[in-house]
Amino acid sequence: MSKKHRIGLKYCGGCTPRYDRVQAVGYLRERLKDSVEFVSYEDPDIVGVLVVAGCPTACVDLTPFKQLPVWVVTSRQEVEDFPATIRTGGIGNELKGEDDSFPASSADS
Amino acid sequence: MSLMNAKQYEESLRKLNFNVWMFGKKVENVVDNPIIRPSMNAVAATYEFAHYPEYEDLMTATSHITGKKVNRFCHIHQSVDDLVKKSKMGRLLGSLTGCCFQRCVGMDAMNALSMTTYDIDQKHGTEYNKRFLKYLEYVQENDWTCDGAMTDPKGDRGKAPHQQDDPDMFMHVVEEKKDGIVVRGAKCHQTGAVNSHEIIIMPTISMREEDKDYAISFALPADAEGITYIMGRQSCDTRKLEPGTMDRGNQLYGGHEALVVFDDVFVPWERVFMYKEWEFAGQLVEQFASYHRQSYACKAGVGDVLIGATQCIAEYNGANKASHVKDKIIEMNHLNETLFCGSIACAAEGHKEPSGTYYVNTLLANVCKQNVTRFPYEISRLAQDIAGGLMVTLPSEEDFRSPEIGKWIEKYYRANTAVSTEDRMRMLRLIENITLGTAAVGYLTESMHGAGSPQAQRIMISRQVNLEEKKKVAKKLSGVTKDE
Repeated sequence: MSKKHRIGLKYCGGCTPRYDRVQAVGYLRERLKDSVEFVSYEDPDIVGVLVVAGCPTACVDLTPFKQLPVWVVTSRQEVEDFPATIRTGGIGNELKGEDDSFPASSADS
Repeated sequence: MSLMNAKQYEESLRKLNFNVWMFGKKVENVVDNPIIRPSMNAVAATYEFAHYPEYEDLMTATSHITGKKVNRFCHIHQSVDDLVKKSKMGRLLGSLTGCCFQRCVGMDAMNALSMTTYDIDQKHGTEYNKRFLKYLEYVQENDWTCDGAMTDPKGDRGKAPHQQDDPDMFMHVVEEKKDGIVVRGAKCHQTGAVNSHEIIIMPTISMREEDKDYAISFALPADAEGITYIMGRQSCDTRKLEPGTMDRGNQLYGGHEALVVFDDVFVPWERVFMYKEWEFAGQLVEQFASYHRQSYACKAGVGDVLIGATQCIAEYNGANKASHVKDKIIEMNHLNETLFCGSIACAAEGHKEPSGTYYVNTLLANVCKQNVTRFPYEISRLAQDIAGGLMVTLPSEEDFRSPEIGKWIEKYYRANTAVSTEDRMRMLRLIENITLGTAAVGYLTESMHGAGSPQAQRIMISRQVNLEEKKKVAKKLSGVTKDE
């Protein structure tokens, strides 16, 4: 089994999120469990940073991450697309199946 | 310890030796008192959520003094982004607690003092800013909660401080010593006072030279000798003493206010930030008030909870598909987002002051707060409209639990059969709590008078709009050529 890619996780502050960001990360953890380990964005050993923003404003300051690949998701759809997005970069190739979409919650709009 | 968690905050409060009074008796254990405890929980949330990855970006900032990560409530705004994130933090916390979380007032006091102390030093060659920054570092290192105390009793509103029959109607210096000053007076309506480690005193109005003994600002440990706290009552407060928790509405959080009396209290010089520089009293008041008027983004957060509760009760009542109910929910959201707009706008239009601190656009901050004096009332009216009269005629939890009569409540107060009677009652109690119970102190009356009553904002708006420019354009477009 190959070593998992470590991706740093950075949330926006969540003032008025349009979807459940924590649930979204739970979905990604499960979906990418064979290839990706999500860790703190402060972890020194990461291949990139996933920014989970609650709306398209995505107000997170990206300056600290300028040396790394940064992926920003701002909606349920972008969360669902994330596995395919990183696969094009050689991460998550172990994934099989495309149909297990991020489930809607009562908190989602 | 620059970032405490909720448990550490609670333990830190237990070490304080407050002199707190409520219902005519001294409160020996403030932290565990059932009436005060929910308000402590709300402040504790500001500590706990700073450790949550999903909130950290708003709840923390980088100290411009030490470079360390600090709770944003202890931070001096270093950019427009900081100002915007402050507004967003307020909304976030309001939406998580459904009440006043009490910690913004200290943040606003410190930010105002960071500017005013600098400006006093520029004029008088004093060292207030140096003192203040040393104090700020102490606050940041310990992650203290500070009560920013401005409102004096004021006595006869028609008289200046020095003209009052009772000189203690405004906080003033009564003795000057080699190592400090002795002060006397009181501060009213102090939100979160007994959940605070420190109390920061500011003057309450602009002053003239005759009032210079009243132009003082300083900070003290909240349990300093000579300070007495007399807790304010809130409607429905003693429900927190009853068996069961359903009738409280909000199961977790709340707020509190207190009258704080200073009976000849000693303040060491290193904690004095303004001393008789009367011409800066008005500036400090205005700067604090502008920041605090921005802070009312929190009410949009509480509005989120009330809107959520109203949508729930519409569903529980089986009325959620009625077009007028849907429209009223839209109106509630419209008003609520308009509140947020003002707070975001005054932050986004902020600027850098000579001290380096970023300051809100004061016109927009006043417009923000003016809306806050009105919209929560209309949002509450709509919530009560949709909730129905049962919200105020509902029997108690003890009746609901009664083996003899509980069955009748269960039977006759059931609506949507997919929802239990208890859940319907709980949601009605939450709406009651926010619109006329303990939380209405924060959501309604504090919205009206906190950070200045409505007329205070109208005066500021009238001073800052450029009417002459508006007239000039109107004349040009209408073809008026005479300059009258």
